[in-house]
Parts: sequence; structure tokens; C-alpha cells
Amino acid sequence: MSHNDSYIRRMILQFIVLLIFGVMACRVGYIQLFDNQYKSLAARNVLRYEVQYAPRGEVVDRNGEFLVQSMECYDLMVVHRDIGKQGFDTMRLCNIVGISKERLMRALRDARTAPRKAWLVTNYIPKDVKLRFEECNFPGFYTVFRTARQYPRKIGGNLLGYVGEVNADIIKRNPEYKSGDYIGMSGVEAAYEKELRGKDGVKILERDTHGAIKGSYMDGAFDSLPVPGKRLMCTIDAKLQAFAEELMKDKVGAVVAIEPKTGEILVMASSPTYDPDEMVGRERGNNYMKMLGNKRQPLFNRAVKSKYPPGSTFKLVQGLIGLQEGVLTPDKAYPCHGGYHVGRISQKCHAHYSPLDLRNAVGHSCNAYFCYVFRDIIDNRKYKNVKEGLDVWSDYVRSFGYGRKLDSDFLGEGPGTVPTSELYNKRYRGSWNSLTVLSLSIGQGELGCTPMQMANLACIVANRGYYYIPHIVKAIEGRDSIDQKFYEKHYTKVDPKHFEPIAEGMWRGVNIPGGGTSNRAFLAGYDVCGKTGTAQNPHGRDHSTFLSFAPKDDPKIAISVYVENGGFGATIALPIASLIEEMYLTDTITRPQLVDQVKNMKIYYPHYDRK
Amino acid sequence: MTGNNIHKASLFEGVDRVAVLLYILLTMCGLVVITSASFDDSIEGFFSFQHFYIKQVVWMGAAYTIALAILLLDSRYYHMYSYYAYALGIIPLLAVLAFGREVNGAKAWFEFGSFRFQPAEFAKIATALAVARLMSNYTFSIKRIGDLIRVASIILLPLAIIIMQNDTGSGVVLCSFIIVLYREGLNKWLCIPIIMVATLFIFSFLFSPMILLIVLILLFSISNAMMIGGYWRTHIIFVAAIAMSSLLLYGVSAIFWDGELSGYSSLIICTIIGVIVAAIFAIKKNLTSIFLTLALFVGSMLFVPTADVIFESVLKPHQKERILSFLGIINDPSGVDYNVNQSKIAIGSGGLFGKGFMEGTQIKYNFVPEKHTDFIFCTVGEEWGFIGAMIVMALLCGLILRLMKMGERQQEPFSRIYSYCVASILLFHALVNIGMTVGLIPVMGIPLPFLSYGGSSLVAFTILVFVAIRLDASPRKGAMSIR
Repeated sequence: MSHNDSYIRRMILQFIVLLIFGVMACRVGYIQLFDNQYKSLAARNVLRYEVQYAPRGEVVDRNGEFLVQSMECYDLMVVHRDIGKQGFDTMRLCNIVGISKERLMRALRDARTAPRKAWLVTNYIPKDVKLRFEECNFPGFYTVFRTARQYPRKIGGNLLGYVGEVNADIIKRNPEYKSGDYIGMSGVEAAYEKELRGKDGVKILERDTHGAIKGSYMDGAFDSLPVPGKRLMCTIDAKLQAFAEELMKDKVGAVVAIEPKTGEILVMASSPTYDPDEMVGRERGNNYMKMLGNKRQPLFNRAVKSKYPPGSTFKLVQGLIGLQEGVLTPDKAYPCHGGYHVGRISQKCHAHYSPLDLRNAVGHSCNAYFCYVFRDIIDNRKYKNVKEGLDVWSDYVRSFGYGRKLDSDFLGEGPGTVPTSELYNKRYRGSWNSLTVLSLSIGQGELGCTPMQMANLACIVANRGYYYIPHIVKAIEGRDSIDQKFYEKHYTKVDPKHFEPIAEGMWRGVNIPGGGTSNRAFLAGYDVCGKTGTAQNPHGRDHSTFLSFAPKDDPKIAISVYVENGGFGATIALPIASLIEEMYLTDTITRPQLVDQVKNMKIYYPHYDRK
Repeated sequence: MTGNNIHKASLFEGVDRVAVLLYILLTMCGLVVITSASFDDSIEGFFSFQHFYIKQVVWMGAAYTIALAILLLDSRYYHMYSYYAYALGIIPLLAVLAFGREVNGAKAWFEFGSFRFQPAEFAKIATALAVARLMSNYTFSIKRIGDLIRVASIILLPLAIIIMQNDTGSGVVLCSFIIVLYREGLNKWLCIPIIMVATLFIFSFLFSPMILLIVLILLFSISNAMMIGGYWRTHIIFVAAIAMSSLLLYGVSAIFWDGELSGYSSLIICTIIGVIVAAIFAIKKNLTSIFLTLALFVGSMLFVPTADVIFESVLKPHQKERILSFLGIINDPSGVDYNVNQSKIAIGSGGLFGKGFMEGTQIKYNFVPEKHTDFIFCTVGEEWGFIGAMIVMALLCGLILRLMKMGERQQEPFSRIYSYCVASILLFHALVNIGMTVGLIPVMGIPLPFLSYGGSSLVAFTILVFVAIRLDASPRKGAMSIR
């Protein structure tokens, strides 16, 4: 071998060594400096993002009593990848957590489809179970702190509403929610979702290859703490609400009480109601289905959604429009001989002396009187014809909050109905007159109102001409005021000066013995004003309703009670309203026998309870 | 390296300080990464003997002592006793087959209590000494086929035994001696086909046997033509004749024999005839070098059609999976690919500066398997980043080049050949180990010299390197020189 050849070989070998190391250096450099996927893959290996769920805001009533509290509970999650090959004792886990083996197996099967993702096994694990579970240390399983809703007074199911887990549909509409989050589904929970929700935090943890947690990432530099939801103060009076629900037991209907000076809703009870705790926890689905199957529809919030004929309570509106339109003066008297008879048309009335002026007509709830008034309004010569007259009347009625949503902060308000000439033109092909629609004069026919709208009418009369939009929230933690619209007075189209005789009529109905239909609502020293209503309806017995406010000159409460098929207004709606007023105004019950009587009154509802 | 003063000859005179420094730096780096990779906070006390890094400290102490002892020994002994050393290296290899302990499917370990020892590590030293001794003989000529076969036998004997232990990785290390053979004058037209065949073997699963056979024929024809210098026309005629005759045979069989012979069979028949013809031609013309090519060719021809058979029967399932996974034929990040994938993630996430000592999450939380032994480079990559990886690679590269340089400056062929043996072993280890952690090479369980945890490998590499340093130092130490 020549010296030269040996030199070349030596050089070639050195070159090969450098080449090999060069290639490896390039490779190392490439994966370390240019290919960024490894950094994210490493993060995916090690980091676990644990959502720190924010506790949902609590709800208190106007006196600070808890309506909704947050209870500590836990979700059990599983990450399939971290379970490990050796498996675990499924029976033991099931026993500790209290779930069926099928449920666990189903969760594991789901989890296998995305092994890195955390899957929910079961929720609503109480704290003691969680502690026991953690002692056992099942790899791949961990618990997440959540809060569940708890209702200390067990009242106001429809009022407070319930929370539920978001579904795909909600997530699509609200991208700020992610799977597993809870959202208010109805009632206050839904109306004030933004305030109650709070803001979830995140905790970034490091884990090892077996999924065991090794501590927080970067000492928590990128963690964020959950911001709890805000505390809401409701306008509701919990004691009153509970009392109202108790009185409405076994009856179908609604009670709405409003503070006239502010528009704050004191009571909003829809009956039948349900225990809001039933909408929390693992049994929720079953309970929900049961309630859906209940023909009396406990999930239907009658207080704001139903369309009831207002019956005689509507006579107040009628009289006010008459006064404003100038077709009526407070002293004008009309005769009544058992009703209002024109040709074949007749509107019956009950026995009372005759003739009556406006005040007494309100007190005695004379049907005939308001037939005269109504016909005078819509047949007024001022207007071209009855159609125009009716539309003018319609506009007046709407200004009282009927036939439209009141724009309250409570979601799911129904508008009710107030007919216009269009409706009758369609129905009667243009040939109709004031007699055709005569039943409107006493709040029957095509009128449909929600109990809240009726309570609002009581407020308008109590305030002598204006109302505040009824609202459910009094204060939000960390905020000076609620929405400005709730501080504005809304006047009707009727001048405030016309209200006094109507209020006087309502006062007489209660306070003058023999002066009206509402004598039983008398509360000594409180100047209760009231108006009964008895609404005919196609579902059997008349609906019983009562509208009231008290005291007359310094109104503190306005209330509307509506009991389906309750009979006369004075039979059942009146005592309920009266008892609630007494409770609110005096904080005592002086008529316990009446309470018992009302409570024990069971009404049979053939159209609901028919199998 | 200025130890000319005979009277002041000290122990370290003539010792290559650069090599020693590189060695010490590498073992120190090793200690630091092992500490980080194996730190286990469930063990009480930082200095507990249960920690791998404390064990490594002990091993390093042992290795440094052995290094000193080697420097004390007269260099003549290595030459004198190299065949005995070879025998001493082979016997435990055989013994381990019988009495060894199986770890990870390889029966390659002796176990005495908690102390494990892998004879294959020492077989490398023995083989290096034996190869150096044989090739440094005055009568030895690499160009003689007989001598070449003797060298090949010395290398292939331990290789075969180690592969029988199922420790393919350690066995294949001995293949790196091809570098030594090349340095000592082996015709490059023999080296290249050998390397090519080995590469083809790895990639043979990507091609059909027919294509492989055609590639082999062309490869060997070209290398043969290059080796015997010219005769290009003869070779072209030879290749063309094989091609034409096999086409003819295929056509004939298709027409008259209902296609009983496939194209591949026709090609094999014609190739066999071609080989016989070439052999007769070689005998007539007395061209021995053609025999060599033919022997290699026949060897690899047997090898290629049977590659599937070897693959199916010889390789263990996990080895098959590793090769298939490496070739991208199967892709399963959580299964077979898991190791390499996690290793790449660990290194890749290191970035330029790394995450810092004991801060590598992939290492700390056990995402990387074998993190303190075979995959130790992941710790370097993740915690020390690109800069650290480059430093470690530069140290290794520097030591290898230094050993080659040390070899070149020897007058003794024995010392030179031995030096090259050590360099090629280190190079192979570095290439395969680092290559596998970054996904360049299929996973083979061999350690990264001086960095991987493991007593027998550290001691073995220390002996390898320090014998080379001792041999390099000796001629300059007048008092102890043979001459």
C-alpha cells in the first residue's frame, strides 16, 4: 500500500466520520429548532388542563334569604390512556361512587374512542364520596370540583328555573360554552345567566407517563382562578312566595304580586309547581320526564305564559277608557235588570240594586254597566265605524300592558291577546258590530291575559295611571343599579285623573258591607281595594280571579290571583289574595281557619286529569 | 507530548492529553445526564446507593482506576497476549449462552447478585486486539483471500455468538471493523458492495426480490469491473447475456410451457449459469479477484431471496416490528413506534437551549423509555437543548478523530490498527445510538459510549480507549519501549 493511497483512505475515513456526525447534527437541529410539532407534542404528553369551574352565583330573596345556594359536588372524569394496562377493580369503583357497572362500562367504551380526552363518568358526587374515592387512587380517574344548585326553601320551581348541561346546539350558538358546562335553562337562571355564570379558571398540571399528577406547570404561572358568579338579589319575598305556593296547592293557576311603587315582583307562583331540587342530581332526567308527562304541566309557567280571559277584572280598564274617551262620567248611572238585553243578544248579570254609578258598578261588578260603556266607546260617533272604534279601544288596552310582552327581565313572557278589527273582519267577513263583540266588555271573548299582566293592571290602578315594568331582580352583586328601564314610569293612554273613581269603586267593593263582591277581602285598617273576576271558559267551571291592591292611598302590594275552574272570583281567588296581602302587610295570619279552608280546597280538573 | 527526557519519565508521559480530557469530559457529561434522567424522589437521600447516579459514580471510580492500571502496564503485553485475550473474550460469550440471564429477550448477561455484566462488551476489546494482532503480522496481506478470510473469521465468530444470544445490536457493532479493513487497504470495490448489501438488506422489504437481484447483479458487475480494472465490455456483455437469456427463457416457457417459469425463476436460472460460466472463465484466466466478487455475490444472492425467510424466522417479533416501523411500513405511535416517537418528542422539545438540568418533563415523567441507558441522548437533547447535544456530539466526534489521528502517527501497525478498531467501534455506537433517538436508524439496543448508564459498558469503553492511549504513549517512553 503506497503512502499516498493510505493518506487518501485516511482522509476519506475522516470525511466519513465528519459526514456521519454532520448528518446527525442536522437531524438533531431540525427536530429541535425547525420542527415545532415536538414542542406541542411534549406539552400534550405532560400537561393536563384542568378546568376550575366557577361556582355559580347564589340567589337571595329581597330580605337576603337564600333561594338558591351552591353546593360543593364533584364530577368523576376518566382519561382512558391513563388507566394503565393492568386495569382496576371495576366493582370497587362502582361501589364507592355508587354507579352501576353498565354505566361505568358505557363511559369507558366512550372514553376509548378518544383516549387522551377526559370523559365524564358520572356527576354529582358528594364530598364524602369524593374523599373516599381519592383514598383508593384509581389511575386515570379523577374528580373535578363543580357546584350543584341547592334550594333551601324548595320554592319557586318555575320562577328560579333550572340549570342543565349545554348540548351541541347551545354550544353552536354560544361558542363561549364548552361541553360539560352548565347553563341556565329557564326562569331566573336563564334570565341572568351572564351574571350567575362566573368565569371558569384553568389549572395546568404536569403528569407522568402513567397519568399521575406531578404538580403544577411552571408553579401555576399560566393558571387562572375561577371567578365566581355574581350573587343576585331577587325581588321575590321568599316567605310570601312559599305561602302563595302553599295556598295554591292542588289548584291550577297562578299568583303574581307586585310592589306598585317599584314594579318589583314579590310573588310569582305558578301552580302546580315542583321542588326545584328535583331538577338537580342524577335523578334529574327521570324527574324531568315525569314532569313532562304530568298533564297539569308543572313546567309551564302559568304566571307569565298562559292566556287567561281576564273576566270582570277587565271592567276597570273598560271604565278608564270610557272616562278618557268622554263617553262616561263617574256619576253616570245605568240601569241593570238582571243583565244587558238588546234584541237577541243578552249579557246576564247577578242581583244587585239598580241603577248604579261607576263606583258602585265597579264594586258590584255590574255586567250591564260595562256593556253600555263598551258600546259607547266603540260606537262613538267620533269614529267612522265600529272597526275604527274597536282599534282605538285596542290601543287603549295595549297601553295597559295587555296584548304584548311587558318587556320584563323574566324570560319566556307570553304576550296574551287583544283583538283588533282585523281579527273580526276575518272571522265575520267584515259584517260585525259592537254587539257581536259584546263579551269583550266584561273581559271575555277574544281577550287573553297573563296573570302578570293582570297584576300589572292592579299596579296601574294603585299608582293611579302608571306602572314600572315588573321585574324579578332587585340588585346584582357589584353593580349599583339594575337595568335603567325598570326605573321608568310607563303611563297608559288614560289620564291619571280618571283613576280615582275606579280605585274608589275597588275600595267600595271590599270595604262597604253590601257594597260589592269583594267584602271578604276586608282587612281592618289597610284599605284593601279589590276586584273579583269570574271568567267563563270552555273547560268546565268558571275561572276564579281576583285583582287587588292595598292600602288604597299608599299602595304597598298589588296582586292578581287566577285559579282555573275555581268558580266565582270570591270563592277561591279572593281568599288567596286576601291572605297573601294580610301576610305581606301585617306579617301575621288572623284567619287560620280560612288558610286551612283554602289549602284543603281541591279542584277537580277533568281536562287535565283525564287518563 | 514533549517527553523527551528519559530520566524524568513519568507515568503520564506521552499520554495523549486531548484524548484523556475528552474521555473525562464525556464521562462527566454522562454522570450529569444520568443524575437527571434517573433521579427518583421516592428514594430517600440524595446519596443513597439505590440511585443510578451514585452507582455510576462508583463505576466511574472503577473505570478511572482501571484506566490508571492500563497506563501502568507495559504496552508489549497487549500485543503479546492479544490472542489469549481473544480466547478470554469468546469463552464468556459461550458461557453466557448456557448460563446467562435473559434481559429484554436477550440472553446476554451474567448476574452476580445486583451486579450485572455483559460479556459482549468485553468481546469487542478482545476482537479489536485479535484483529490488530493478526493484521499487524509482517506476512499478513489484506489482498490475499486466505488472510482476508482469517480476519473475517475473527470478526464473525463473536458476531455469530452474540447474535445467537439474541443481542443483535451488540453483534452488529463488530461490522464496524470494515472501516479498519478499509484503512488497511481492503479494495474499496469490496467495501462498497458490502455496505450496499447491508443497506439493501435493511431496505429489502421495500423492493421485490427480482428488483433486488437485478440491483445486485449490476452492483457486483460494476464493482468487479472497477476492481480488476477495465474489461468493461466483457462485463456489459456478461450482464446483457444474462438479461437476454432470462428473457428468452421466460418467453420460451410462456409459449411452450404454459408459463411454468416466472420471470424471477428464469432470472435466477440464468444468473446461476452466468456465475458458473464466470467462475470457469476466472479459473482459466487465473483471476482470483473475480472469485472474491463471485463468492460475495453468491452469498448475497442467497441472502436476498431468503431475506424474507430470515426476516420471518431469525429476527424476533420486536426486532421485525422495529425495522418495519422504522421503514414506515407500519405506523403506530402508541405501539411499536412509541419509543422512537417519545424520544423524538423529548429531543425536539428541547429547543436551542434546552429546559435545564432536571427540568426535562419528558424525561422526568418517564415518557421516554430506557431514558438513562439506551435513550440517554434524549436527556441531553431535552435538558441541554441543541447546544448541549452539539457539545456532546462534538466531544464524541473529537475523541473518534483523535483516536484515528493517534493511530496514524504510530509506527507499529498493531497500535494503528487497534486505534482504528476503537474509533470504528465508537463511531458505530454513536451513529446507531444517536441515530435511533432521532429516528434515523431502527432501534437497536446499544449504549451511547461514556454517557449511557451501565457498569460493564463504561469499563469496557474505558479499557478500549485507554489501551489505545497506552499503545500511543509507549513508543515515546524510551524506558519502556520494546525497541
